[in-house]
Amino acid sequence: MIAASPRPVLETRGLVRVLGEGDARNEILHGVDLAIPQGEFCAIMGPSGSGKSTLMYLLGALDRPSGGSVLIDGADTAKLDDDALAAVRNRKIGFIFQFHYLMPEFTALENVMMPLLKGGASSRQARARASALLGDLGLGDKLGRIPGRLSGGEQQRVAIARSLANEPLVILGDEPTGNLDTKNADRVFAVFEQLAREKRQTIVVVTHDPDMAARTDRILRIVDGRIVDDGPTKEVLERMG
Amino acid sequence: MNPALLLFIARRHLSSNFLRTCISVGGVAIGVCFMIMMSSLMTGFEGKFVKETIESSPHVTVFDDFRAGEDDFDHWADRAAGGPVEVEGGKPRSRIFRIKKPLEILDSVRRLEGIEAAAPNVVGSSILSFGAKETGSTMYGIDPEAQEAVVATDQYVQGGRMTDLYSSGGAVIVGSGVAERLGVKKGDTIGVSLRSGGTRSLKVVAILHTGVTTIDFSRSYVLVSLAQQVLGMGRDVNRIVMRLRDHTQAPEIAVRVEKLVGYRTESWQEANQNFLSIFVLQQAITYIVTSGIMIVAGFGILNILIMLVLEKYPEIAMMKSMGFTARDIALAFFIEGVAIGILGVLVGSSLGYYLTEFVGTLPIPQKGLVESEHLIMNNMPRNYYIAAAAAMLVTMVASVLPALRAGRMDPVETLRGHA
Repeated sequence: MIAASPRPVLETRGLVRVLGEGDARNEILHGVDLAIPQGEFCAIMGPSGSGKSTLMYLLGALDRPSGGSVLIDGADTAKLDDDALAAVRNRKIGFIFQFHYLMPEFTALENVMMPLLKGGASSRQARARASALLGDLGLGDKLGRIPGRLSGGEQQRVAIARSLANEPLVILGDEPTGNLDTKNADRVFAVFEQLAREKRQTIVVVTHDPDMAARTDRILRIVDGRIVDDGPTKEVLERMG
Repeated sequence: MNPALLLFIARRHLSSNFLRTCISVGGVAIGVCFMIMMSSLMTGFEGKFVKETIESSPHVTVFDDFRAGEDDFDHWADRAAGGPVEVEGGKPRSRIFRIKKPLEILDSVRRLEGIEAAAPNVVGSSILSFGAKETGSTMYGIDPEAQEAVVATDQYVQGGRMTDLYSSGGAVIVGSGVAERLGVKKGDTIGVSLRSGGTRSLKVVAILHTGVTTIDFSRSYVLVSLAQQVLGMGRDVNRIVMRLRDHTQAPEIAVRVEKLVGYRTESWQEANQNFLSIFVLQQAITYIVTSGIMIVAGFGILNILIMLVLEKYPEIAMMKSMGFTARDIALAFFIEGVAIGILGVLVGSSLGYYLTEFVGTLPIPQKGLVESEHLIMNNMPRNYYIAAAAAMLVTMVASVLPALRAGRMDPVETLRGHA
């Protein structure tokens, strides 16, 4: 390890997010400060409604903060217009959701090609890259299937392949294994570990599952919109009991 | 923005939801189809009427009177206003109007630009009799050769030609309706009452059948000299009829002729004003009704696209997370609407063509203004352009709202709702 800590890929400063107005006003995040360096595999844990998902949408430039700032690869999202944010999402972020949200009319291959084509890749390049990714994830023989004809685990792997398509700096997973059985969940986490180690990609996953969280480098615990614990995985788990 | 990608997405959405696409395309197609058929029907009827009118009546006619305001007492009354003399109970003087010096007028009119032919007419009402039967008829005294150059009547003459009028001293060609009323056929001899008293016998040398009921049931043709005798006109005439090189110029030329000769001069448009204005109204009604069909189809598209957008919210959220902008997404859905419109126009145009042809073969005989065994259809390109333009306008308007809605959706709200 180099002594000087590298510039964080994701950083928040006094991040506040408020939903609703008037009586329905609800402050979800009350000033979150965090910094995640490149190549870190990080879990966000916390009870339901604590603001984990909201934090993730903000980290992924899918949402704008009510206060404070989010820096993605050093760029303050507040200073970017909608189109620029969309470009950041396309190039630097890969999202994986609990519900995989594949486009049902498109084949596995086409789903993975989407972010590549959107990013300006030629059809041929996109096809080559997408089939390689799906091959790596063990779906080489199912490229032409539409999502309706894939199992849940297979669909989630297609979604992962899609999130990796543009070689993003950051992969954000909102309970990416929440809908999978243990075997498939295992497989997905193995992919994440490998990406963080070998490709130095930053991975942030929201999870409820302590067994899965145990495989990460670092755990952030959020309760009621505040970070209550942050540290190396082992220490945080010990403190949690 | 990547048009090819958006097109790809739109195309796949449409082809994967085949039934839904078919329904919305069908809605547009039906609108287009009926719009084409209706305008073919309407313009067909109008076209036939105009064509027959242009063929069977002169483009410009000089009458034997003057425009209004020629009351004999007008200048008296003007002077009388507040003056010492007042005229009360004045009646127009009974005076037979005539066009004087017709040959000179014909000469000068023929020299005018745009006039192809001109002919003198003596027109008046006459009573024709055959045995005990009598009927009124508008008698036209014509010079068959000059007349034929102005109004092509020969093609409507059954059992002879217009020039057969030259054949004997008392030849007459009667309209088929007149003949029917009198019960005469070619070769019969009928009587005509003279203005001066007494009757003269005429030989029916042919029957005229134009299909325009107002003509067939009223007209009879004789030579100018005979009509002058019947109507007591001496050597004068009371109409001068003209054929133009371009019938659409009739109103302007009529004004020029009127200035030249002084007598009231009418274009065919003015003479048929009441019919032509009915056609304008009829076309307006057609377009209103078919626009109604189109608007209903538009609501169909609106409905289907809104449903599609709502159903695709999670995917749209995903697309946004992949970096698609609001504009990309709105455009993709707008393309879907426009594609439905284009398909609807294509399908509707081909259906419209066959429907129009089919309706044209239906045996629906018409009598009245024009006579025909079938509905008269004018299956012309303009109908297709108008229907296509209307359909595209409606589909574009109907697509804008759902497209904008898709573009503006907040991905976080949708993702939160599902998490």
